[in-house]
Amino acid sequence: MKSLDADIELKQGAFHLRARFSAPAESITVLFGPSGSGKSTLLSLLAGLRKPDRGSIRLGGADIHNLAAHRRGIGLVFQDARLFPHLTVRRNIAYAARRAPPGGLSIEDAARFFDIAALLDRPVGNLSGGEKSRVALARALAARPDFLLLDEPFAALDGIRRRTFIAVLLDLHRVHKLPVLVVTHNIDDAAALGSHLVALQAGAVVATGDFATASRQPAFQSILDERDTGAAISSQALQAASDNRRNAIWLRADQVLLASQEPHGLSARNVLEGLVSALWPENNQSVLVEVAATAGHLLARVTPQAARELALAPGRPVWAIAKAHLL
Amino acid sequence: MLSGEETQILATSLWVAGNAVLWSLPLAVMAAFALSRHFPGKLALESVTHLPIILPPVLVGFVLLMLLGQRGPIGGALAGAGIHLAFTAKGAALATAVMTFPVFVRSIRLAFEATDRNLFEAAAVLRAGALDRFVSIALPLAGPGILAGMVMAFATALGEFGAVITFAANIPGQTQTLPLAIYAVLQQPGGESEAMQLAGLSFGLAMLGLAAAALLQRWAGRRLAG
Repeated sequence: MKSLDADIELKQGAFHLRARFSAPAESITVLFGPSGSGKSTLLSLLAGLRKPDRGSIRLGGADIHNLAAHRRGIGLVFQDARLFPHLTVRRNIAYAARRAPPGGLSIEDAARFFDIAALLDRPVGNLSGGEKSRVALARALAARPDFLLLDEPFAALDGIRRRTFIAVLLDLHRVHKLPVLVVTHNIDDAAALGSHLVALQAGAVVATGDFATASRQPAFQSILDERDTGAAISSQALQAASDNRRNAIWLRADQVLLASQEPHGLSARNVLEGLVSALWPENNQSVLVEVAATAGHLLARVTPQAARELALAPGRPVWAIAKAHLL
Repeated sequence: MLSGEETQILATSLWVAGNAVLWSLPLAVMAAFALSRHFPGKLALESVTHLPIILPPVLVGFVLLMLLGQRGPIGGALAGAGIHLAFTAKGAALATAVMTFPVFVRSIRLAFEATDRNLFEAAAVLRAGALDRFVSIALPLAGPGILAGMVMAFATALGEFGAVITFAANIPGQTQTLPLAIYAVLQQPGGESEAMQLAGLSFGLAMLGLAAAALLQRWAGRRLAG
């Protein structure tokens, strides 16, 4: 397994991309950022579809920034799948398999893994959005890349299909030992998938590192929508109403209640004991409280009045409460 | 029914047009693909490709004669190898190919330009190199368009006159195609009814070609839409 290290710069009119980060081999790295932050451009540069003005891209230590796209061994799944319209599903996957180094998955095995075996002999024109995404993923896997980039692969999916797709990606990474970098601007998807984070804003990396830690940095919280302020908590530490497989759950500060005493007789399934570690007054209406619990650091948004009544201050023991159905 | 003479003229026409299209196909595909991309020198290639449209056909025939005639710089060498082009059916096909080249390139180019460029990026990240992408993606997707271009070029080729008569002359049974035969009979007194007969034949062929090209183009559109 190879890690990907990039230090690249590209100027394009008023837009200036300067990105320096690592995507570890053993992780699913989430490249997170608002639209227009340069995520897709960055993927094109990594895959070799565009040339940076300067910089280096290393895959497993070897500099690949001078190699043409087809020699890099970096796979890329596009948002719009980009299946070849003149080939069937099977031949789309075979296209990649024929050009891959030997020893890869058979087309049938790849199809089974992504649950598209029944589609193999269909033309690609009349597949649904979810089916197209899975075929594109199977095709990318068949090319046996050393590193796989995914550009908003859930864009065409919603609800249960989206959650299923996340589980498929987690399996892909775990079963096929494939290092993955996935682009998203959805914080729930990011937390569900990511073990490593690279946050991009206006072409610059504003936070990077282990997902739970990096996502707590103020620079990261500042690129989120106000209602999305929160923290990533391991899914094993929380009880959620749905049993979707995910790495972590993004616990929004607005979803958390705080109690100054251990609560009893509650319907809420998640009660996490911890100590207040910091307080940040946001404006006249709210205070952000950081709680260090055994499961990790979490955030709760309370009114200044509530903060006073509960005498919230660093070191104060509190109980954080979250409903299972909100997760 | 066609007379023996008319059958001969028709056969010459089909042979000349068919060979003109087949032999210029590889060059037309390459030029069309190049012109569907951006590269330095594109304007120069574009101008050269379109030259036969703006030059008088007689002049094109004359230039071919100068270059490829028995005493021309290229024609002399070819004659040494036993290849004669001027005043032969092969020469008629060559002159026809030169004249139809712009139309041929243009219709193939449209097919390449209609192809989704993003698919080439998708192929590149699946380890396909540039030539591989051309053969495995560009050609098959433009295939119906190329076929339509061939039919269109063939229909245009059937009507070539000036360059053919200058370079290959009007030799019955060898280089006398339909338009050349119409011209020949019109030179004789009372040849109008014979000319009408040949004109009808010529018109029918052209219509057939246009219809076939239109059908192929529609097929090409459906195929690209996926």
